[in-house]
Amino acid sequence: MRVVPGLALCALAVLPAGGASADTLSDVLERGMLRCAVIEASPGFSSIDANGRRYGFDIDNCRTVAAAVLGDADAIEYVPINPNTAFTTLQSGGVDVFPGGATWTFLRDTSMGLDYTGAYLYAGQGFVVRRASGVSSVPDLEGATICVAQGTTNEQNLADYFRARRMKYSIVTFADVERGLNAYLADRCDAFTTEVFSLAGRIVALRNPGEHRILGDVISKEPFSGLVRQGDPRWRDIVFWAFNSRLAAEEFGLTTSNVEEMRATTEDAEIRRFLGVEGGFGRQLGLRDDWAYQIVAQVGNYGEVFARHFEPLGLERGLNALWRDGGLMIAMPYR
Amino acid sequence: MRGNSGLRRQRLAEGETPSLPGMRKNSAFWLQCLLGLALVALVVLVFRTTQSNLELLGVQSGFDFLWKKAGFSISQHLIPYTEDSPIWVALAVAILNTLLLAVFCIFLASLLGLAVGIGRLSSNWLVSRLSLAYLELFRNIPVLLQIFFWYYVALRALPSLESSIFITDYLVLNNRGLYFPFIEFANGFAISPPVPGRFAYEGGFYLMPEFLALWIGLSLYNGSYISEIVRSGFQSVARGQWEAGAALGLKPATVLRRVALPQALRAVLPPLTTVYMNMFKATSLAAAIAYPEIVSVFVGTVNNLAGRPVEVMAVSLVFYAGVSFLVAWLMGRWNKRVTMRGQ
Repeated sequence: MRVVPGLALCALAVLPAGGASADTLSDVLERGMLRCAVIEASPGFSSIDANGRRYGFDIDNCRTVAAAVLGDADAIEYVPINPNTAFTTLQSGGVDVFPGGATWTFLRDTSMGLDYTGAYLYAGQGFVVRRASGVSSVPDLEGATICVAQGTTNEQNLADYFRARRMKYSIVTFADVERGLNAYLADRCDAFTTEVFSLAGRIVALRNPGEHRILGDVISKEPFSGLVRQGDPRWRDIVFWAFNSRLAAEEFGLTTSNVEEMRATTEDAEIRRFLGVEGGFGRQLGLRDDWAYQIVAQVGNYGEVFARHFEPLGLERGLNALWRDGGLMIAMPYR
Repeated sequence: MRGNSGLRRQRLAEGETPSLPGMRKNSAFWLQCLLGLALVALVVLVFRTTQSNLELLGVQSGFDFLWKKAGFSISQHLIPYTEDSPIWVALAVAILNTLLLAVFCIFLASLLGLAVGIGRLSSNWLVSRLSLAYLELFRNIPVLLQIFFWYYVALRALPSLESSIFITDYLVLNNRGLYFPFIEFANGFAISPPVPGRFAYEGGFYLMPEFLALWIGLSLYNGSYISEIVRSGFQSVARGQWEAGAALGLKPATVLRRVALPQALRAVLPPLTTVYMNMFKATSLAAAIAYPEIVSVFVGTVNNLAGRPVEVMAVSLVFYAGVSFLVAWLMGRWNKRVTMRGQ
């Protein structure tokens, strides 16, 4: 769900042609800052802590790319966007990368001039209902009124699910998740639906989370992937391998706290190539050889990042566990 | 052309517009030609830049998406619509929802405006003060805030399903909307009353809370403007006309209806047209509170679904411009019919 191409694509009409550069890496290195698009106020993914620092899973995605490219996870210029402007901002060169949870779908990949960089989170569309309603599974929602955010994959998943089962329902479509959820909380709807990760984050943040219940079943798969502009293969490779490095680090058992020691002592050839001790892999990407080391040292491995942001919300790894633990996450090899 | 003074008084034939003083007819013509050409050039330029930008970015374009399956649901549809319908049917549903709202608003705002406008002129102190209070209250608050007020504050105070308000036996109001019996086409003609289901009333027809909020909000706001137009219209009727009516022994209500109103109409129609058109366009505020009209359904959902922002915007703009032109044309014709000859 979460992100949609938008209205503001019309801005294209007034932009001069060729606004988007084909060599993002050079631009970022020259600037010394990564311009990263973030959607704000989404607990778990992107929020601001008491000290005014950005914090969340999406933020760590930005930091991962910055650490790899610039060696400094904080060299980021955050560009707040909303779902309606996300794709346009990226298309027109306003940001270098959008790692903020766009569901990877066929039409988006083929028709919008953007490239996906590989799924980094597998979510599904879930529902929240009031406990008092007695609803315990999605089929119980026959005849219910459901609030949803507009233009998301959620709206279509919902239609597909209910239509396939010939279940009646009534939909109220809001411009964004925040308004949709508020309408649900005001009893305009019997249920609110969005993907479970952001749903959990928002319900935990409520004053009385105990009154609500997130149903156990999900009705869709929502593979989230980073997005970059089409036509810049090297930059796409960099973002892909930056995300891949966090998974590899978890497979290798590398963490923020032990990576420095491991770099000095490990005998494992793949880990040595990964950390830039040998092989010169960074240069293949146009980066420094310690690019992956910087990711692990400054951001952490995938498991650490997941635990940091989603465990406090009561979310389990599930599909996002490593393949050897029964999940879908698998790191491409470094050889 | 003869004549060298721009200040020359022109005798105008009926329907002819006076040209600007100091401007010869010829130069005005060429100036307009030039402006027209510049406009066309600008449009072509923007069109071509957009096209090449989209191509450069690998974004697809074209109107073929209108025939694809919509795949999303719309809760209020006046014509048969399912998720399997093509997108152009979804567009038609959205257009009808827009028009339904506009017609309801124009009707209620006109009634309110007429009543309050006449009320302002009333010799009854209470009535004229209440009318003034209405005017000042609703004219001075932005209409979007009023809509939010009705949606988030007023309608949220409505009871849930279990404690629905029964206005009559078959007219039910709760926080899911206003339910009333409706003709059921499914099995012949039958009146189907709303009956409580597990989550909401089923059967019959209902107006969504979003519709109600917009209807009330837009009508109250625009009604205040219309009341001023109505008041000025009546005040433009010469005093002698009222007195003449009274002298003929007509009752005050009859004077109002048969003497003053037809004359006031002449002054009222042109500004009223503007208010109607503004009200029609203001229905797009519905997108802020989830009523499925054209901006919400088409510019929102369909645009995001199809990824054709330029085409989607073009269709929406043409719709709004088209209906506005139509309203203006109809009101213009009506205006012509009531215009006093020779004035």
